[in-house]
Amino acid sequence: MSLSTTYPAESTRSRAKGRPRASETAAPSLMEILNLIRGERATTRQTLERESELGRAVVSDRLQLLSDLGLVDESELGHATGGRAPRLVRFSARRGLVLVATLDQTAIGVGVSDLSGNLLTEHHEAADLTAPAAQLAGRISALFKWCLERQPTPTAPWGISLSVPGTVPAGRDDAFMKATPPVLPAWDDFPLVETLTRQFGVPVWIRSSVETMTMGELHAGAGHGLNSMLFIKVGRRIGAGIVCDGQLYRGAQGAAGLIGALPVTSDGVTGTLDLMAGSDMIQREGCALAESGRSPVLADLLRRGAEITPIEVSQAAQIGDQASAAILSKSGHLIGQVVATLANSLNPEMIVLSGTLVQTNDILLAGIREAVYGASHPLVTRDLRIIRSQMGSSAGLVGAARVASEALFAPAFLKDWILQGKPTLHPDFVAFRAHVEEAEIAPETTRLSPPTGHGSIAS
Amino acid sequence: MTISGLGPHGERAAPPERVALLPEDCAEAKAAGKRVAVVLHTLNGDWTKLQITGMLGIFGDCGVVVTDVVDCGFSANRQVAELDRLIAAKPDAIVALPVANEQVAAAFRRVSAAGIRLVLLESVPTGLLPGSDYTALVSSDNFGLGTMAAAGFAPHLSQAATVGVLGFAADFFATNEREIAFTNWMQANRPDVRTHVLRFGTMDEAADLAERMIADHPEISGFFVVWDTPATAVSARLQATSHSIVMATVDLGEDVAVNLAAGKPFVSVAAQQPFQQGVVAAQTTILALLGRTIPAWIALPGIPVRRDNVADSFQTIWRKPAPREVLRLLGLAM
Repeated sequence: MSLSTTYPAESTRSRAKGRPRASETAAPSLMEILNLIRGERATTRQTLERESELGRAVVSDRLQLLSDLGLVDESELGHATGGRAPRLVRFSARRGLVLVATLDQTAIGVGVSDLSGNLLTEHHEAADLTAPAAQLAGRISALFKWCLERQPTPTAPWGISLSVPGTVPAGRDDAFMKATPPVLPAWDDFPLVETLTRQFGVPVWIRSSVETMTMGELHAGAGHGLNSMLFIKVGRRIGAGIVCDGQLYRGAQGAAGLIGALPVTSDGVTGTLDLMAGSDMIQREGCALAESGRSPVLADLLRRGAEITPIEVSQAAQIGDQASAAILSKSGHLIGQVVATLANSLNPEMIVLSGTLVQTNDILLAGIREAVYGASHPLVTRDLRIIRSQMGSSAGLVGAARVASEALFAPAFLKDWILQGKPTLHPDFVAFRAHVEEAEIAPETTRLSPPTGHGSIAS
Repeated sequence: MTISGLGPHGERAAPPERVALLPEDCAEAKAAGKRVAVVLHTLNGDWTKLQITGMLGIFGDCGVVVTDVVDCGFSANRQVAELDRLIAAKPDAIVALPVANEQVAAAFRRVSAAGIRLVLLESVPTGLLPGSDYTALVSSDNFGLGTMAAAGFAPHLSQAATVGVLGFAADFFATNEREIAFTNWMQANRPDVRTHVLRFGTMDEAADLAERMIADHPEISGFFVVWDTPATAVSARLQATSHSIVMATVDLGEDVAVNLAAGKPFVSVAAQQPFQQGVVAAQTTILALLGRTIPAWIALPGIPVRRDNVADSFQTIWRKPAPREVLRLLGLAM
């Protein structure tokens, strides 16, 4: 059942006549000052006045209000440059928490971040994404509760941000999700957004894993501070995250970077990049090598009863098994050719490669590098750095936290909650939450509650 | 034995064999003449002593001099001060077990920023990344240990039993994983079992919490405590009462081994391999110093210990004979 259109819209329009409300005049300057502080573009009252071009009295008044709301802190002193040491103005990033989760085919990760997107707690565990949606949602929910309990100071969550292994259609101009997007076939009809909103009482955002990992690398990883970057995730699917002008580019439908669907040709066979170079291909060809005996290492593993996965093929290649190395090299070259096309189009400063195989296998990495350097314009590769991600699955959690923190403080959303002090009091969200709580609960959601008598801790 | 957990950043575990040293590695390390410091949470206890023994042997074999073995006394401030002192002394590598999370993260970052190779044991302060902030984490499969303890405990729990879980209040990767894994296994495999969770900050507090939990839930018939020292304190406190319980924990300390042999209250133990972990930490450090590619997380499987294998498991884990009392209780000695 769609919940997106059935609750009454909350009016946030200004009154047509008469004097404006105090909130209507204060909100724009409050937002400007808060975001200057949050982005550390101004750290003292003097720099705030200069950057905002607001008068001393206005800045002072707004800072007092932000301080009363618990959003800024002025307790710390800066360095003196001749006179008195200035009082530093800091964003109170611990005013609220963001719950984050990543889902991939074989694992889930959960964490808690502050409002600046810094991870405070994280946990990863194996999971089967083909399990019933209610079961996985229940596990995520239980782990969220566990994460909140682990915080030394009890703090309320302000948002939930999820990273999922599929394209998330770009919505309308909604500030937060008001319906569960169709992300995975197995999750059809499961009201994930509505369920989490009901359980935690906070807005929810969902992005693809490639998008969140790109955000993670851009803000806390190798891409920190860069204006242009390509993030390539290699697994069963191969996808690209595109950063232009310091921002993640999502495309018209949220489908930017689906390079795995591009056709490539190898040994006279044409197929999509996913099929021809993804980990399924590596596993398939590795199994064939093991069964035919063309790879002594893989054949030996098979004899001992081991399952041949892409990891085994990768490890065999690393210890010098030539047939396995050829598979990884072919995959690397095919991926590199497609990445080179993107690099020639976008001229990035850096290409970050991610995924278990590419982060652990030098042959695959070398294949990608060779193809990119070989097929790119010399100007494109003059200062181009091609590196492996060091963040692992944390990139997705960090990026998901950034998605939420940017959405929470986006001016269009912020203006209607800043005077209330927290986003859960935003009129649109209050209305949505009330509607969700009143809505009929889908049959699957009844299974979300922990079994009677269980403790709430990760059970 | 497979590794069931994932690393602190969701990494898949690399097996200890991945960092095995070849004769040429040892020769190269000897020629290089490296210096290493070891910074541990405490130097007390068999677990720590055996880790150090494992490390020192391998370092010695490869000509690596251990210049410091630091006892942080479980103090984050002391660990930060010691790391800063060592940064000034510039060893080639530091092997360290973080005693806290956020409080020590910046100091650990300074180690790597100073060009010193950093190999972590058991836990990674939140926010530190492999490759840039540290070389590798060497730990037990702590998720696997929690699962193992639960699986061994379950046959001793009656239908619809209630179990107290005592976790560690500090945000520590190893104990977090054990607690999560234990409760997760129970929910998936023994949904009839109720669990109540509390977390202790100090050893003394563990016994107090156990008493409080029993007062609040008199039906509790078992406890899982996330490691053996507080578990022993809980066991000692509860033995003084008339409350009959069974217990499970992680690590086979001597007291726990005696209890296990006696058949009560400990019935299930998931044990780490501290000597082997020390060996693997030293091997990892040496390969890192030689510039070899190192996996981000190297994990060692645990050993499930029950009454019937406590004597031989004790030998495997502690590299010495089982205590006389254990052998006597098992009828293996007078």
